Amino acid sequence: MREAAVISQPNLLRRIPGVAIVLVALIALFGAIAPGFLSFANLSNVLVQSTILTMLALPMTLIIMTEGLDLSMGAVLTLTSLCVAIVSVATHSMLLGVGAAILVGAAFGLVNGWLVAIVGIPPFVATLGTLGMAQGLSLIVSDGQSVVGIPHSVRDIYSATFLGVPVPIVMALVTYAVFHGLLYHTRFGTYVFALGGNREALKYAGLSPGRLLIGVYAIGGIMAGIAGLLMTARMNSGHPTAGLGMEFDAIAAVAVGGTSFERGNGWLLGTLLGVIAVGILRNGLNLISMPSSVQVASVGVLVIVALFLDGLRSRS
Amino acid sequence: MTDITKPTLSPSRSFLSQDAIQLFYRLLAALLICAALSVLTDSFLTLGNILNVLRQASLTFFIASGLTLVVLTAGLDLSVGANVALSACIAGTVIHQTGSPTFGVAVALVVGGLVGLLNGVMVTALRIPSFIATYGMLWVLNGLTYWYMAGETIHGFPAGFRQIGSGYLFGVPIPVYLLLIFLAIGTLFAQRTTWGQEIYAIGANPVAARLSGIPVARRLLLVYAVSGIMAGLASIIFLSRLNSAEADIGESLTLPAIAAVLIGGTSLFGGVGTVFGTFIGALILTLVLNGMNLLSVSANWQPLVTGVIVILAVWLDMKTRRRT
Amino acid sequence: MSTSAAVEALRPGSEGATPLLELRGISKEFPGVKALDGVSFAIYPGEVHMLLGENGAGKSSLMKVLCGAYRADAGEFYYKGEKVAINSTADAQKLGIAVIFQEFSLVPHLDIAQNIFLGREPKGRIPGTIDRRRILADAKRVLDMIGFDIDPAITVDKLGVAQQQMVEIAKAISQNARILVMDEPTAALSDRETELLFALIARLKADGVSIVYISHRMAEVFALGDRITVMRDGRRIDGVLPGDVTPDQLVRMMVGRNVDMTYPRNFAEKPGEVMLQVKGLASPTGIADIDIEVRRGEIVGLCGLVGSGRTEAARAIFGADPITGGEIIFDGKPISGGPDVASRRGIALIPESRKSEGLALLRSVGDNLVVSALRKLFPSGMFDPRVSQRTADELIRQLRIVTPSARQMVGLLSGGNQQKVVIGKWLAAGSRLFIFDEPTRGIDIGAKSEIFALIDRLVAEGAAALMISSEQIEICHVCDRAYVMREGRIAGHLSRNELTEENIVRLGMHHA
Repeated sequence: MREAAVISQPNLLRRIPGVAIVLVALIALFGAIAPGFLSFANLSNVLVQSTILTMLALPMTLIIMTEGLDLSMGAVLTLTSLCVAIVSVATHSMLLGVGAAILVGAAFGLVNGWLVAIVGIPPFVATLGTLGMAQGLSLIVSDGQSVVGIPHSVRDIYSATFLGVPVPIVMALVTYAVFHGLLYHTRFGTYVFALGGNREALKYAGLSPGRLLIGVYAIGGIMAGIAGLLMTARMNSGHPTAGLGMEFDAIAAVAVGGTSFERGNGWLLGTLLGVIAVGILRNGLNLISMPSSVQVASVGVLVIVALFLDGLRSRS
Repeated sequence: MTDITKPTLSPSRSFLSQDAIQLFYRLLAALLICAALSVLTDSFLTLGNILNVLRQASLTFFIASGLTLVVLTAGLDLSVGANVALSACIAGTVIHQTGSPTFGVAVALVVGGLVGLLNGVMVTALRIPSFIATYGMLWVLNGLTYWYMAGETIHGFPAGFRQIGSGYLFGVPIPVYLLLIFLAIGTLFAQRTTWGQEIYAIGANPVAARLSGIPVARRLLLVYAVSGIMAGLASIIFLSRLNSAEADIGESLTLPAIAAVLIGGTSLFGGVGTVFGTFIGALILTLVLNGMNLLSVSANWQPLVTGVIVILAVWLDMKTRRRT
Repeated sequence: MSTSAAVEALRPGSEGATPLLELRGISKEFPGVKALDGVSFAIYPGEVHMLLGENGAGKSSLMKVLCGAYRADAGEFYYKGEKVAINSTADAQKLGIAVIFQEFSLVPHLDIAQNIFLGREPKGRIPGTIDRRRILADAKRVLDMIGFDIDPAITVDKLGVAQQQMVEIAKAISQNARILVMDEPTAALSDRETELLFALIARLKADGVSIVYISHRMAEVFALGDRITVMRDGRRIDGVLPGDVTPDQLVRMMVGRNVDMTYPRNFAEKPGEVMLQVKGLASPTGIADIDIEVRRGEIVGLCGLVGSGRTEAARAIFGADPITGGEIIFDGKPISGGPDVASRRGIALIPESRKSEGLALLRSVGDNLVVSALRKLFPSGMFDPRVSQRTADELIRQLRIVTPSARQMVGLLSGGNQQKVVIGKWLAAGSRLFIFDEPTRGIDIGAKSEIFALIDRLVAEGAAALMISSEQIEICHVCDRAYVMREGRIAGHLSRNELTEENIVRLGMHHA
């Protein structure tokens, strides 16, 4: 007779309520009180704006699954968007710009990974340090000024469409597909689960947790590089403080999406929904003329509540 | 350790403990930096500049001193900068509206302390890891402060109040006196009270501390509250020094405070470190930044240098920490 | 067909065959203790080989040597008659040895198939990917082999303990294990799950897989075992067939020992008034219905096998774990709360792992000695280092702690002296009830008698002690009387006259 699992309620059912309820609630709330919220133009704008955050939140999901954190993502994003700006202005080539950004992002990712996995510095301190370094480099490289004169090839990325769908959204979807495949269909993805869930099991299997961990952080850096392209394209300039603080939204999206901080479990779709939730929250508050400060505070409250609930769930 | 029946040796002589040696090295480093700077530039060794450095260091130190206690328990408070900003803005408003600096000071301390207490509750009762809890708090406070100020700045405080941050007594800036006072109080608290001893015990081994009868949760609430109160205090100094308050004054405060604590030899793993060390750490950091200023290095380099120093300090701490 | 009959039908034939794996003269030493002393041991194909022994007899060290986690200091291994080396887990795996530990090595959010093949996943077409269909099919095949019919795509965190154990076994089988070592596999299983496990073992036997089975349950030993090996003090005492021996004889083999220590205990005193009364104590850590009484001047023992709940009971009494039922009365007044309440009222806990729970290793001897007495020594809250120093020096002298000074880092002291520091900190606090959890573990002979002399002096001066120890001989010589625990409850009480090692083991092992 076929056995059933002792805890037979499938994982998906238990989690959909969380972030889906938040989404539905937010849509209902702002649909009611915010003028113009439910218009097609507004909602598709929210989606396009959310693509940059998606690029950060997806790798952040993996990092958090390994019981780590990357506080430097926002600063690295700032730096890479400056890279795109400066290099593309100098060479008139979008590809070289993106290439430089990815290299820089990967470098920071590797440094983060090395500090955490090999040197053994706690992730939040290591990435706090690299945050400072990236922030500093941004200021130095730009001398505190915006970089303008961005070539069309870069600018158009944000506004162009592919088969009627805005290119940023296509990029985000492709990214999601890649991450989904990575996490659920590759050996690397399997090992990411183990890094958070039972690191010892990897050692018994003869694998190296250190190298895997470096890889996870490196992916974060590379994605920050690609997101830099979108950022520069969106703002049509490279700005020395553009992406600062986005890591916070990324962490919020992951937390709201249901990925736990302590158990090596991750749900990419949840993160995606979390990104949209954060986007809707900000957009809605914007439409009712709440200053960005309140938006930031609300996201902060959202994170704390999500973590508290996550703590409750893991203890029951 | 072979003959266990031999009576113990003579009563302990006082000799330099590990802590003292570490402090000595750091003091040496500070002096070396001073020496280097006085060679590299003429404007370093002037009275005005030295006093400026001391005053600047004191600002970092006020925040870092409370933070030291938190780090001693193997925790972290990333919200201190934002706490300073919020407390400053609210206190500034209060002083303007009531005309009473005393009331303003009280409000700053209360706001700072309440924020600290909330952090403590999240860490002890809600069991959220301290770096996440205070990180979330950082953003909440940021948001609150910006919303509260609505883009405006508060100017102009009573002259008497301004003395706190900008005044001089016998040629020495008042914040320096305050620095010395709080250095004394902080050291006294950490080394000469039972609460201080218990905090060290908690940092060294929280499980053993609990099983030794120390009320760990209560002490943790205490250290986070103190960190918050010190942030409140720092906000008063800022208010009186800048003679204004706006929402963004806290942005650049957290990283130097953490850097000061770590450079000063307090270990992230808890149980090791001193308030005096934090003072030297603040001094070293301020000297480096001051030197950069005097040598006309662009201010853009400051976050980078601070970030590098933080990582170096933690790395050194991990290398030299003696584990059994 | 009942389980035991199924097993009966599959006992291996004559013993003339070559052993699958043979150990000769295996020794393993750790600083201060000889875990294995010249152990020789043979495993034949397709047999269930029961391994018996008290706590500390060397069973788990033997297991770890077998699977390559420990490297033997001396001795040889022979596989099918040929000499081999087992110096790493990879070596053991190649020989087909797999150990199922009590803490499983599973990744909670991966499914059964991924867990079984962790690190050995079948490759997909794109390099780096996993062939989903194949991994599920391969997993299904292995699961079928052991008769475990479950969907391999279910994630492991949703499985019950028995099911997780099956996955561990499947993992071992998939690595072509021919020798499975199981450490108390039925400890967490229900009766029905136990039956299923036995059926699986029978199936494995039929395939020629050998099983080394560690158990404390006599019923299993006789129902399942083809041969029994008893260990004691790191040595193999004897190997017998279940048909040739009675449970009592086994117990005596496990317990018999040379008496080479003297214990300075005076039993002449009549115990004083009741200091501690525990009634019906229960805790989510797995204990229930705990009734204990301790009087002034007494040393009361708390015995039982590892996992019987002794430490949990001690912690619950001290307030370190939450209480879901019952009450604790100390000195006539009820007490409830955490360790801070208990220590203030005068109860002390000397924990089992002194390094991780009893001491702050990086702090000085002096700091550790006064940490529980801070309130008492400095009621105003002002800490005076000179008073602290004097108190520490006095304790060092009194307890004869060997240390260059009170400022020495306590982590550098020897085990015995570290233990004295832990006891000393409670002396400083003026405790009157001392709860000891394995007070002499990891301490050499000379220091052991010092510790006992210390405890004896304490209770002679009016304190009371509750002592957990896995060394039955210590309990018998030192304690006035003892409670025996089994599976989270009190199995029985032994008065002074009844306090013998055999009685302790019998009460602790009896499986209803």
